[in-house]
Amino acid sequence: MLTIIKNTFREALAKKIFIGYYIFYAIVILIMIFLVNMDSVEGVMSLTDSKMLVQQVETGFLTISWNLIIFFSLISTASFIPSMLEKGTIDLLISKPISRPMILISKYLGAVLFVFISMVFLLGSIWLILSLKSGFWDPTFLFSIVWITLAFAVMYSIVVIIGLTTQSTVVAILVNFFLIFVLCPLLSVREAVIFSLVTNETVKFIFDFLYYLLPKPGEFRDITTSMINGDTINMWKSSSNAETGIFTVSWLSPISSVLFLLVTMAYSVYYFAKKDY
Amino acid sequence: MHVIETQNLYKEYTQKFSKQKVNALNDFTFNVEQGEIFGLLGPNGAGKTTLIKILLAITFPTNGSAKLFGTDVKSHKAKTKVGYLPENHKFPSYLTGEQVLMYYGQLSGMKAGADMNKRIDEMLGMMNLTQWRKTKIKKYSKGMMQKLGLAQSMLSDPDLIFLDEPTDGVDPIGRKEIRDILAQIKSRGKTIFLNSHLLSEVEMICDRVAILNKGDLIKEGNVDDLTKAENIFAIHTVEPIAMDVKQKVLAVDGNAGIGEKEVNTEAGIEKLNKIIDTLRGSNISIQTVNQKTSTLEELFINVIKKDNTN
Repeated sequence: MLTIIKNTFREALAKKIFIGYYIFYAIVILIMIFLVNMDSVEGVMSLTDSKMLVQQVETGFLTISWNLIIFFSLISTASFIPSMLEKGTIDLLISKPISRPMILISKYLGAVLFVFISMVFLLGSIWLILSLKSGFWDPTFLFSIVWITLAFAVMYSIVVIIGLTTQSTVVAILVNFFLIFVLCPLLSVREAVIFSLVTNETVKFIFDFLYYLLPKPGEFRDITTSMINGDTINMWKSSSNAETGIFTVSWLSPISSVLFLLVTMAYSVYYFAKKDY
Repeated sequence: MHVIETQNLYKEYTQKFSKQKVNALNDFTFNVEQGEIFGLLGPNGAGKTTLIKILLAITFPTNGSAKLFGTDVKSHKAKTKVGYLPENHKFPSYLTGEQVLMYYGQLSGMKAGADMNKRIDEMLGMMNLTQWRKTKIKKYSKGMMQKLGLAQSMLSDPDLIFLDEPTDGVDPIGRKEIRDILAQIKSRGKTIFLNSHLLSEVEMICDRVAILNKGDLIKEGNVDDLTKAENIFAIHTVEPIAMDVKQKVLAVDGNAGIGEKEVNTEAGIEKLNKIIDTLRGSNISIQTVNQKTSTLEELFINVIKKDNTN
């Protein structure tokens, strides 16, 4: 398993897209170093003000970049499965004394682990810079590393299943684009927006069904920002207030998304184990 | 225990769009013993690659069973003592030759460390790739890639090696080197399963061959036995054969080919003996009697033609 994970890392680092990816991260970090100004040390800002400002910068950064980071990570790793399935590569891999489920899971974990390390670099650096500049050391922001990796892991399970069935990187990326930027955000606000326009109960049921069925990468961000701000997180049901526009996320979102991941990966493993190559 | 054992293997493919069923293997039963170099021959689409893929559980049979070292191929443990060089293999292009061997060695169950490094050195040396060990393989020529593939298949010192077109893209000198390496492996009691289009090469290397056509096993046996042409004999005489003796020989076998000191007959053992009696009765001394042999290529073409006609 470790051998395949290690090779997935090498594969990732060999891709030019990752160099671009890290240059982009480095620019973001440099912006944080040179442009964010928090002079609490000189007494200009109180600790409470610093705390609020740090929280605003953190949540603002996550709100803007969350989906983009996930999507760029997916673009960078989407070719792993189709390239593994190329004739001449897969034959050799399967001919080794390793079970097929182990091959697929290792490949999957390799990609997830790589993104996790990238997030430690990016988000860890941002947290360190903000903390050093403000003197406000709140580790809650560091949870975003776990949440964004988990959101990536959920969406990457879709890349895996599409990669296995179609051997197409492009299809996997397009489906993810549609889910991350169109369908999932739309389903999150279905109660506040769609249901105010639609009266048909069947249509409402379909939207509800899709909402609970599909992963909710954006709501992982809402969980993270709620944690940073110390906001309420509902237990089972997310809600959005039509008047104030405030969306309250629930723990159901990550739970159902992780269930989606488990089902998708279980099917992928089953499919991979039975397929003729 | 056989090294490879198949029982009534049957494989049917369904074509993607037409949904037409294609039989890739029909009721295929055969064994390979330890220490043999076994050659698999057949025209394109005969089912050779399908057979290898089933034996390595890359593809699953529709019916029947296959075992490696007595273990069902469905268990990945059956592949512990197996090496494989696929046709048109693709190694990760971002790795160096050394890293490729390290990666596949570890996948084969080898532990990273001094022993593995020593083995990698040996393999690279054997393939004349030592000076290229730190070079990314995207810079390798096809012949070098093939040699690296062969090194990869032998790295973990497996007891059984499947080679699919191992000399493909390799120059004549390289081919000779590969043949010598295979002979060396064989001398260590290893079993080699070879799939090659180069029949002359198979003839030189293999102990036993099987010929497949349209999924059927149509001929199997030792190379020496198969290349002996049935009932074709050449009699060489010490004295020239006179015209009257030639007439007597033709009276025995009207189709016999008669030269100055040679008679060729395809009429069977009984008539061969009568021809010898005729020659001896005419005071002509017999120098040699040989059963004629055909090349593997001639045998292959004849057998396939015959099968296609049937």
